[in-house]
Amino acid sequence: MTVPFLRATGITKRFGALTALRDVDLDINGGEVLALLGDNGAGKSTFIKILAGAHPQSDGELLVEGQPVEFSSPKDAASSGIATIFQELALSENLSISENVFLGRELKRSVLGIPFLRRKAMRERVDGLLHELDAHISDPEAAVGSLSGGQRQAVAICRALNLNAKLVIMDEPTAALAVAETRKVLELTRRLAGRGCAVVLISHNIADVFEVADRMVVFRRGRKVAERRKEDTTPEEIVSLITGAHPDVRALEQNNR
Amino acid sequence: MRQSSLRFVAIGGREWALLGAVILASIVFSVASPYFVTAGNAGTIVRNSTELMLAGLGMTLLLAMGSIDVSIGILMGLAAIAVAHALLASVAPALALLVGPLTGAGLGLLTALVVVRGRVPAIVGTLGLLGVYRMGVFALLGGQWLSGLPAGLTELLSSTILGIPLSVLVIGLAYLAVWLALRRTPYGPHLLSIGNAEEKARLSGVPVTKVRIATFVISGALTGLAASFYVASYRNVEMAIGSTLALDAIAAVVLGGTSIMGGRCSLLGTALGVVLLRILQNGLLLMGVPSLWQPVVTGALLISVLALELPVSRLGDMKEKWMQR
Repeated sequence: MTVPFLRATGITKRFGALTALRDVDLDINGGEVLALLGDNGAGKSTFIKILAGAHPQSDGELLVEGQPVEFSSPKDAASSGIATIFQELALSENLSISENVFLGRELKRSVLGIPFLRRKAMRERVDGLLHELDAHISDPEAAVGSLSGGQRQAVAICRALNLNAKLVIMDEPTAALAVAETRKVLELTRRLAGRGCAVVLISHNIADVFEVADRMVVFRRGRKVAERRKEDTTPEEIVSLITGAHPDVRALEQNNR
Repeated sequence: MRQSSLRFVAIGGREWALLGAVILASIVFSVASPYFVTAGNAGTIVRNSTELMLAGLGMTLLLAMGSIDVSIGILMGLAAIAVAHALLASVAPALALLVGPLTGAGLGLLTALVVVRGRVPAIVGTLGLLGVYRMGVFALLGGQWLSGLPAGLTELLSSTILGIPLSVLVIGLAYLAVWLALRRTPYGPHLLSIGNAEEKARLSGVPVTKVRIATFVISGALTGLAASFYVASYRNVEMAIGSTLALDAIAAVVLGGTSIMGGRCSLLGTALGVVLLRILQNGLLLMGVPSLWQPVVTGALLISVLALELPVSRLGDMKEKWMQR
């Protein structure tokens, strides 16, 4: 069997007396879209923050391509090929698309020790990525503040691709979007997986998840309570797993009491 | 589509409006006072603008970063004392010129340690430092004036290269260097992304702490350079030095179109804002308004610009959100 791109074992996160995440095991493979589901406070955001390097875990181990890794910042996670597209899209509205795509990792050429920007090279690269994603954005110099929600998602995805990310984490990418824009972002998500990227998607929208995900993992009260392949489950079952009405979850929660 | 905020020199509506205001004010004052259009008075306006040009350049960067420094006046005072002592110790004028920015950079680093490392809001941290520095100036001056300073630095800065005074060249070079740093190096996008939203900048991998410290040091160095210019112009240092510098700088920079909320700046706007402010102050003086009224005029100008501008930018945001639907 091939090694998954990322394997998490026994991931636990405590904030003082509160245990936000308890003993989570999860494999994430290249080329698949994995959806994380669960109610507010179920622990999915905490989990992706650990993957993204935003919080260190209290216990447990992360393996990237079989090698143990420790992340102390998003930069560490990025250098392991993990890029996160946060819900609030960490984009700077006052900067251009290409400035955003390269923010924090600009292409530079040193002249007399001064790091000058290679603006043309950056613009061309962004132009190429936007084309590849078929994002319908013509001018990489446009300010991100002038783009629609879906176009901003495309810019955030460009940023991830530009990192040569092998795992892209998307936190509620369609939460604030109109129907047509949601379609577009789901297409982009599939296209990312098509390029061999692993995609981890957090969403509350079951219909979106069933459209785009290959596998679903349900979190509840800080635990992973279920894992299903799309073809083996139904939206009804997933909803009952999320709410705790499902017999498996009841049994699990009885045992843990 | 709205373009990136990094188009510093592109002359936009704001810069044209300022240019118009400069011309209009000049016409009004030349009608009101026969002295306004004399060569001597033009020289006075230029000379009075030099320190503010430099301190305002530093303030532009701080405001663009969503930060501020209300202690720059007294910081200039401390740097001016250092320059004065260098001159009194017969240090070569060219070296004495450098004493200002070096002292200023050192003090800027201290400010950065308090504000950035100490995680104190910039307005409060620099207000605290203002008190500390003021005592420093008092202790160093002992209530006396440092006066009758040697003329070496004055002569150096008024010497000309190809007919252009060295002082003007130095200011031009400072603006060019800052423009290049903003437009052609990663410093520009990093600074403006912090000004837009610090947390987002951090998540994007911008070295936020480093950029913030560097910006306080750059602003300190520019204000210190202003101190060298001050000593060259007045050849004395007294207790009240720089008491209106922070107000003047913030007013000129905001007038120039740099956002007080951060994320947007205009270097040309700052330069024009400084000229407009100094023309207003000079013209009112010539019309017989006592100089004690100057801070009132500056303060009123600052407040009016902010009061007029914030609702407009909110309107702009609303319009933008509307367009997205």
